[in-house]
Amino acid sequence: MKGIVLGQYYPADSVIHRLDPRIKIILALIYIVCSFLCRNIFSFVLLFMSSIVLILVSRIPLKIVFRSLRAIIFIMLFTAVLNVFWTKGEPENLLVSWKFINIYTEGIYNAVFIVVRIVSMIIGSSIFMTYTTTPIQLTDGIERLLSPLKKLHVPVHEFAMMMTIALRFIPIIVEETQKIMSAQKARGADFSSGSLMKRAKALVPVLIPLFISAFRRAGDLATAMTCRCYRGGKGRTKMTVLKCRARDYVMLAVSAAFTAAVVVINIYSFGYTM
Amino acid sequence: MTPVRIKMSKITVENVSYVYSAGTPFEVKALDDINLSIEENRITGIIGHTGSGKSTLVQMFNGLVRPDEGRILLDGADIWENPKEIGKVRFKVGLVMQYPEYQLFEETVKADIAFGPKNMGLDEDEIKNRVSECAGFVGLGQNELDKSPFDLSGGQKRRAAIAGVMAMKPEVLVLDEPAAGLDPAGRASIFDGIVKYKNSTGAAVIIVSHSMEDMAKYCDYLIVMADAKVFMTGDRDTVFSNSSQLENIGLDIPQITKVMTLLCEAGVNVSKSIYTVEDAERALLKLFGGVR
Ligand SMILES: Nc1ncnc2c1ncn2[C@@H]1O[C@H](COP(=O)(O)OP(=O)(O)OP(=O)(O)O)[C@@H](O)[C@H]1O
Ligand SMILES: [Mg+2]
Repeated sequence: MKGIVLGQYYPADSVIHRLDPRIKIILALIYIVCSFLCRNIFSFVLLFMSSIVLILVSRIPLKIVFRSLRAIIFIMLFTAVLNVFWTKGEPENLLVSWKFINIYTEGIYNAVFIVVRIVSMIIGSSIFMTYTTTPIQLTDGIERLLSPLKKLHVPVHEFAMMMTIALRFIPIIVEETQKIMSAQKARGADFSSGSLMKRAKALVPVLIPLFISAFRRAGDLATAMTCRCYRGGKGRTKMTVLKCRARDYVMLAVSAAFTAAVVVINIYSFGYTM
Repeated sequence: MTPVRIKMSKITVENVSYVYSAGTPFEVKALDDINLSIEENRITGIIGHTGSGKSTLVQMFNGLVRPDEGRILLDGADIWENPKEIGKVRFKVGLVMQYPEYQLFEETVKADIAFGPKNMGLDEDEIKNRVSECAGFVGLGQNELDKSPFDLSGGQKRRAAIAGVMAMKPEVLVLDEPAAGLDPAGRASIFDGIVKYKNSTGAAVIIVSHSMEDMAKYCDYLIVMADAKVFMTGDRDTVFSNSSQLENIGLDIPQITKVMTLLCEAGVNVSKSIYTVEDAERALLKLFGGVR
């Protein structure tokens, strides 16, 4: 069950798992910005290497990382092909010319660069945010990062609470759906054959009990929260207080150095620049 | 001489193993090389500590969970022989899941009990007969049958859900903790309904329960599970005479058996192997010459 939604979170014992979620969100953003700063071959090599280092440090099995990349393989291929055919380079770099199709060396470079950029972006952000951070930690981190907005009367805490509850309930509702489906299957309900209309109708015996129990749960939770005197964010303390430690500052420093390196490498133009 | 009834193996479980979330960090071995046989016309009880794999096992009997390894035989034929036909198995092996009251959805209790028989494609008259017969087994009256299932009490909902599975007239009736969380009268009426169903159809009945008292009272045969394995099988007396082994795996023997054992050890002339309050009452009355 835990496998379904938290399927993204991969429990392991690594430095990245132990980082403060706020820092991880910031690191993910920095990493995405860096991947856009990259312009030439050296910076892209650096970016790609750093993705590999991240995977190794976070102890996420390669298999799992590839699984998330597989989902966007079509987008990657599509952008790569677009870049190959649509990039207009210097006339002396023309590789293939057939009817209206012109392929330049620059196009090939662009395609490779874009693919590396997308891959690194996905690896970086998913390693920092989804694989090593539980959804609850993540919302906690977001709430803290956005808390200055409370001064502008943005209900940050309320939004975070709603997020937390929603995330918390996804696995429960998925589990419940499976249980109800099993129970109705045991009474001969058939969800997998027949016309579309018939299948949609077959879902009624699942949806009705599901909605009823969702409302019941919502009511129960509201009662439980009221009983514990919940009244919103003002003056509320937290059970787990987020605290930055040495490793968090070290990681921030490393990422600052990384950004600086990318910027410097971009200033010197090594070969083709995007 | 009483006629000897030859007990036939209705369901046979052969070397069945099952793992949840295989290949992920959340992998759990729920069943490990299970071998069992379930016989007709008797009530088989399954006991075991929480998480020992009871619910997983009973969901295999009607093909809701497919074994990773091993086979489930119904009347000698592998139920997964033809996976497309698994629906037919579900009409023969009726499963009442844990907390079945959450599966009610129809406008009236009557219509909800009729859901299973309707899926079997029976005609209106037959469905009507079955609904009233099975409502009778579990003690639901005409008054309740016309209500919305959501207006019933928890115990009544439970009974309606059980009747909904009985109405398919399964040859094997499997109930996962049918009486959990009910008051003594509610428990008794559910178990009585199950016994009535067994007597009228001769079905093989399988009950999962944590209540040793209920198991001692209603089951003819017991299967004890521990840590995804079958720990012990046998009739009631055989199983409950091993109280120390049962305690080792976190189970218990009926309270009344403990009382009788203590009495016996204190020198009162009663048997240690008494498992129900009724039997204890009889033994004590006999001892003190009373009648009732
Ligand atoms: N859907 C599921 N996904 C993952 N693991 C599961 C799932 N269902 C059960 N398990 C695990 O399989 C093991 C056996 O569970 P099962 O529900 O069969 O136990 P049980 O004997 O019925 O327990 P209880 O007496 O508490 O009902 C447990 O360790 C449980 O955590
Ligand atoms: Mg169970």
